[in-house]
Amino acid sequence: MSGRFKSALAILVAVPLVVLAASTVTSKIRFEEVGEAAGVRAQHHTHRFDGPHGDVLRMFTSGGASVAIGDYDGDGLDDLFVTDSDAGKTNHLFHNDGNLKFTEVTEKARVGGGNDAHNIVSDALWFDYDNDGREDLLVARFGKPILYHNEGNGKFKDVSATAGFNKFGNTIAVIAFDYDNDGYLDVMLGNYFKPESLTDLKDPHVLPNDLDNAVNGGGVTLWHNNHNGTFTDVTEKAGFGKHTGWTLDLGHGDFNNDGLQDVYLACDYGTDRIFFNNGDGTFREATEKAIGFDTKKGMNAEIADYDNDGWLDIFVTNIYDEYMKECNMLWHNNHDGTFTDVSRETGTCQALWGWGAKFGDFDNDGWQDLFVTNGLRSAGKQNYIPVLLNNVITKPGIDFTDVNVWPNIGDMTWSGYQKKKLFHNLGGQAFKEISAEAGVDNNLDGRGVAIADFDNDGKLDMYQTNADQPSLLYHSVSEGVGNWVQFSLTGTKSNRDAIGARITLTAGGLTQIREIDGGNGYAGQSSKRAHFGIGQAAKIDSVEIHWPSGLQEKISGVAMNKINRIVEGKGIQH
Amino acid sequence: MTRRRCFRFTVRLLPLCIVLASSLSAAGLGDDDFDKAEKELASKQYDTALGYFESSLNADPDSLRNSSEYRMATLQRALALQPVVRGQPHEGKPVDFDREIAFFGKLTDAHPKSANAFLAYGFSYVDKIPAAGTIGQVILANTALGFFTKSIELKPTWIALYTRGNSYLYWPRIFGHGPDAVADLERAYAIQKTETRKSVHVRVFIALGDAYWKTDVPDKARAIWREGLKQFPDSQPLKDRMAKDGDALNDYLDTVLDPNKRVDTDLRELWRTE
Repeated sequence: MSGRFKSALAILVAVPLVVLAASTVTSKIRFEEVGEAAGVRAQHHTHRFDGPHGDVLRMFTSGGASVAIGDYDGDGLDDLFVTDSDAGKTNHLFHNDGNLKFTEVTEKARVGGGNDAHNIVSDALWFDYDNDGREDLLVARFGKPILYHNEGNGKFKDVSATAGFNKFGNTIAVIAFDYDNDGYLDVMLGNYFKPESLTDLKDPHVLPNDLDNAVNGGGVTLWHNNHNGTFTDVTEKAGFGKHTGWTLDLGHGDFNNDGLQDVYLACDYGTDRIFFNNGDGTFREATEKAIGFDTKKGMNAEIADYDNDGWLDIFVTNIYDEYMKECNMLWHNNHDGTFTDVSRETGTCQALWGWGAKFGDFDNDGWQDLFVTNGLRSAGKQNYIPVLLNNVITKPGIDFTDVNVWPNIGDMTWSGYQKKKLFHNLGGQAFKEISAEAGVDNNLDGRGVAIADFDNDGKLDMYQTNADQPSLLYHSVSEGVGNWVQFSLTGTKSNRDAIGARITLTAGGLTQIREIDGGNGYAGQSSKRAHFGIGQAAKIDSVEIHWPSGLQEKISGVAMNKINRIVEGKGIQH
Repeated sequence: MTRRRCFRFTVRLLPLCIVLASSLSAAGLGDDDFDKAEKELASKQYDTALGYFESSLNADPDSLRNSSEYRMATLQRALALQPVVRGQPHEGKPVDFDREIAFFGKLTDAHPKSANAFLAYGFSYVDKIPAAGTIGQVILANTALGFFTKSIELKPTWIALYTRGNSYLYWPRIFGHGPDAVADLERAYAIQKTETRKSVHVRVFIALGDAYWKTDVPDKARAIWREGLKQFPDSQPLKDRMAKDGDALNDYLDTVLDPNKRVDTDLRELWRTE
């Protein structure tokens, strides 16, 4: 029997086994929507602009419904920060009281502000920028960001002015990571429009100059943490200055396993971009070689090793609707600085008008599943697409940048009422869409999604935000799921949040990796606690952590079906 | 059929000969340049070849053969220039098609009565579609429709009517182009009924059936596909359609009429007879 034939036979035998195993597991993933009962239902309001361009600008800024998960009071339960976007509307901080009950503490914490006549809240991020052991909060805006310092008594203090975040930008995404491994978290902002005030529009030419290859967007801004509570804009110096695309999301991770954090930029109206970290405070763009230039509408950058090969892959949502037939992109890491889009082969191509998406092992089988939100605008019966096509897209000589040429959307629907997608990972080779069976096929206008184990029961829950609609909390009620283990990391030499730390776990013959991320994925920051499903494995064979400081630490005494707290260099803390 | 031979026919056949000679133009004005272009193309001297093709078209703007070969050479060049990378589309870059678009723009300016030049101009936009983004594709497709319409206004030939009717099929239903497709393809069907059967005629059976299916007239769709199978019993596309129904047929047609896929605009089949 030739080697090739043996391989083919092995695949033929293995594939049905994988599918069989997966189909058994499929029936287990179930969620119940408990937002109201848990006390975390939050109605989002898109910003309403004044003047004749108001309707068009509102349409172009219909993001902003975001969620950030973080344990701000260090009680071992993940809390929720949920944004709103209209003038005068407040954001919401929900304290997790345990047993899936939350209390809104926005007023006491003093973090509700941010929406006013000149600023529109768009995203949020928990991160400990001063390494004091308390999660601080950054609120991104179409305007100037707000940095809230966690004072430690359930209250926060606006330190934006002293922190140096004084640059206006139309920011839609924010991540924090330590790009220079100096032990302090830096901040990257993804900017959608160029830095013109949308609330006080002087020049109507603010929209994309090309709907497939736009280069008049806001790019990104990289802020270096100066270790003293201030930040310095190092965008140009770090090599991001030439990017002028319409950045809609940011994702970071060590894509080439060199111990340095790299960056993926998901951009609307044109090509995404990928930057590798040089290790000297600068990045090199590798878009053409690594992924090729695209013309899609990049909406989300989520990073995970979906096939457990030890290399991080990237999932990007795009648009697949009545006339834009773009596939999502599941960039499989080729281990050589390049990626191959395998969305068609894996069954993750179509998720309609995609927004935030997150990987998570919802049945604890050792393979990370993928939840994708979608839907732009659900309203009246009339479809906006033909109106747009006839009045703008196909009209000769139209200047797309001019807000005056775009027809008002009024009560029309545009790619609305779309059912969410939950892709169950079938052994790292393919995914099966199971949203209806799992109970998550809502048709709201989804934006962000964040994942956490809110009740510490070893099963991952999800929080979904929706534009101009109420949010949802999906509690996992999956039955018969596999064993699990979670890790809560604290850096000492590394940044205290351990963002960028990579955990490698082997159990049941499967080796998996997780990297702690600082806000990957559109409009949703998941828990910084790493979750591993390990199936029916009876023991964990090994756990190793590569810290951003460079320390390689072997962890012993890991408890299964428990949350393990680990301090850098000191192992498990009991 | 050459123009010289055409004159040997009776007066009654003369108009047909003129039509064939002018539209297919298997030989005639610009032939020297056409031959040079083919030679250069064979040795992959793309830019030189394109130059000769352009000269041949300037001499004979109505030649569908010359314009088709020119466009195919453009496509060949675009694909040759772009390295094949797994997982990435290999359709050339949008800019690779700008030369032919600019050329046909000038050609139609210089020859505003040349129906086939406008048809080729429309095809040049269709050729660019797979290399463009999703919104650019709509703009290109719409522009192509405009030039197909101009061609039909000048001379409503079978190929022009089929081309525009078939183009409408690629538009999603929400644009309401289904009835437009039926109208054009019925006219093309009426024309081909009066012609000697050609292999290319099977395309109208396929497309007209698709148009009826997309406009929710399944009985007519099946009738036209059935008729097509009588005349072209080996046609796999017709067999595929007749073997499917309901959602399966919808999915099949969505796949076949996916605007992201390259539409075959090579017209060589036109001068093939059975």
